[in-house]
Amino acid sequence: MELLCCEVDPMRRALPDPNLLYDDRVLHNLLTVEERYLPHCSYFKCVQKDIQPFMRRMVATWMLEVCEEQKCEEEVFPLAMNYLDRFLAVVPTRKCHLQLLGAVCMFLASKLKETIPLTAEKLCIYTDNSIKPQELLEWELVVLGKLKWNIAAVTPHDFIEHILRKLPLPKDKLLLIRKHAQTFIALCATDFNFAMYPPSMIATGSVGAAICGLQLDDEERSLFGDSLTELLAKITNTDVDCLKACQEQIESVLVSNLRQVRQQQQQSNPSKTVDELDQASTPTDVRDINL
Amino acid sequence: MTIEENSSKDNEPIVKNGRPPTSHSMHSFLHQYTGSFKKPPLRRPHSVIGGSLGSFMAMPRNGSRLDIVHENLKMGSDGESDQASGTSSDEVQSPTGVCLRNRIHRRISMEDLNKRLSLPADIRIPDGYLEKLQINSPPFDQPMSRRSRRASLSEIGFGKMETYIKLEKLGEGTYATVYKGRSKLTENLVALKEIRLEHEEGAPCTAIREVSLLKDLKHANIVTLHDIVHTDKSLTLVFEYLDKDLKQYMDDCGNIMSMHNVKLFLYQILRGLAYCHRRKVLHRDLKPQNLLINEKGELKLADFGLARAKSVPTKTYSNEVVTLWYRPPDVLLGSSEYSTQIDMWGVGCIFFEMASGRPLFPGSTVEDELHLIFRLLGTPCQETWPGISSNDEFRNYNFPKYKPQPLINHAPRLDSEGIELIAKFLQYESKKRISAEEAMKHAYFRSLGTRIHTLPESVSIFSLKEIQLQKDPGFRNSSYPETGHGKNRRQSMLF
Repeated sequence: MELLCCEVDPMRRALPDPNLLYDDRVLHNLLTVEERYLPHCSYFKCVQKDIQPFMRRMVATWMLEVCEEQKCEEEVFPLAMNYLDRFLAVVPTRKCHLQLLGAVCMFLASKLKETIPLTAEKLCIYTDNSIKPQELLEWELVVLGKLKWNIAAVTPHDFIEHILRKLPLPKDKLLLIRKHAQTFIALCATDFNFAMYPPSMIATGSVGAAICGLQLDDEERSLFGDSLTELLAKITNTDVDCLKACQEQIESVLVSNLRQVRQQQQQSNPSKTVDELDQASTPTDVRDINL
Repeated sequence: MTIEENSSKDNEPIVKNGRPPTSHSMHSFLHQYTGSFKKPPLRRPHSVIGGSLGSFMAMPRNGSRLDIVHENLKMGSDGESDQASGTSSDEVQSPTGVCLRNRIHRRISMEDLNKRLSLPADIRIPDGYLEKLQINSPPFDQPMSRRSRRASLSEIGFGKMETYIKLEKLGEGTYATVYKGRSKLTENLVALKEIRLEHEEGAPCTAIREVSLLKDLKHANIVTLHDIVHTDKSLTLVFEYLDKDLKQYMDDCGNIMSMHNVKLFLYQILRGLAYCHRRKVLHRDLKPQNLLINEKGELKLADFGLARAKSVPTKTYSNEVVTLWYRPPDVLLGSSEYSTQIDMWGVGCIFFEMASGRPLFPGSTVEDELHLIFRLLGTPCQETWPGISSNDEFRNYNFPKYKPQPLINHAPRLDSEGIELIAKFLQYESKKRISAEEAMKHAYFRSLGTRIHTLPESVSIFSLKEIQLQKDPGFRNSSYPETGHGKNRRQSMLF
């Protein structure tokens, strides 16, 4: 049998638009409007009785899996999480409705951002048909209403290019830094601790973590000196200490997720030792990881 | 909800997964890092977490915070085992929670908040809806002021269909019907855009984009969304009513507009568009039918159904978005470049149409449209449009080699500055097209004075005494009985 590998991205992609990227007013506008779209309270304390933090994490992980498998635009997942958090900050919700809510949020985010949105039917299949398309459509209107149709929310992804273009980064590393930053953003969206942070801070912290993680050599490092954090903070007008803390938090979320993945590996392959697993995956250097 | 119900639900999994467990990129990302755990850290042998992160994180900090933060966040299939660790994330625990911002620079003013609340706060959901869906009403520890404000808005009549009287039908589109209406609250005329909810997929993307984007766009040259009414089978968007669209306006003055008014209209188009572009919104469907004009001569961009929040890089949108006549050649040739410049070609076409009284490129097919463009502006070649010779679609059409013609021959009423500006809109290479922002500063607008450039966003240009609409030479009173033809045109309002 002949194996053909002719994967072509069927989607047309837009090129960077200098009118949007090289205009600081665009960045300024983003910074001005982003806070409008933050959930207005830490809802586990003051709104929700039935829903607990671990449930949010489960739903978030499921949503991320669906978005990844459906190859959604990067922004769809964080946007959907933003809707979920804002809804939960206003409406006491039963836990049996949480996945339905998650599906509705993906439905809406995808309609806003994608050329070909996720269909109601597909989303229902992803819940193992535990929700019906009819419910999804009814809830769609409720969520739209409760969010007051303010769904064109700013996400951390909106800031990435604005930040990257202001950093003196080696060209060959740019792609990797961007990719890692995007992954950190998704990681942050799964963690409730970040739900009330401004997207610009999450973006800045993610870029910072991505650059630190790459271990630039001394020459490259000297491009910033010790001032990388200061430089980053200045770009998005974030407090330096806040940014440092945010970056540390991102890193610690990564650590805990790494641990978790390791544990799952051990559970799924109880016969193998950790060493064997490491040999199996053998990345030689993080810098070589291409996602 | 009874206690029995509640407890029976407890045993059910919260998240059901309808897909087979496969590896996916987030996991593989983490997985790859796991591999690097064992590697001796390259730079920081004394890293806190057993050196594990040293290879990735290179932490210049004292690390003491890291080891206290997260316990193993296991997401077991039982879902219950990590409850204990989960509860800790109930609160924002980091020091960043205390001061998220450089407050000196970034404080939201009360004014911002008020602006934010200017739209009727809550969209009323039909009676019984929440009950049916078992969603409880908001708890009492919500701020009272906001709740009472919402209640009062609802009492006033916002969000209720009873508040609006439907008058005649203005037009019908693919996903909505537009009616002229009157608000009982203000006695003002409104345009009611009634959107049918799709049986299969619910609220149409177009409606979702239009509403969510328009809610963020508050500008003197962008149509205002007053209210959203939600009934069982449809959504109605309530817009401010403007008398006519640009197409109708041009018809009413026999296609001979005052050249001064052409300038004022063009300036207002650019002003609205520059504002959109600054907010990362492309209109993508500019045409005279989407430009609404009131008696004062105020022009407003309408119909954001095809607009879209722009993010870079992203998928481009379907090739079928811009009305053919105002569609740029790069898009006609299947370009993947889709950006703010997509709107600027259309501005050039509209500018010409106002000045000359006829559409610039009224093509009926893609080929016809390209043919008309090339016949006037010259068939492009590698020198005039780098990269065009390798465009397969272009080569397949095999157009005759036209030479560019002077634009002035086709729009004799335009002065030399106007001709210069129009040429800047009609550039083959999209990146060479002038932006809305730059265009507003062009010498063509010098006669409007300088104050016009510093107006606040929400203020009409006609608030300046030096800015006044002139009488159009070909104007005939619109109180003449409308012909069937005219009525048809009117239908495209807001579409």
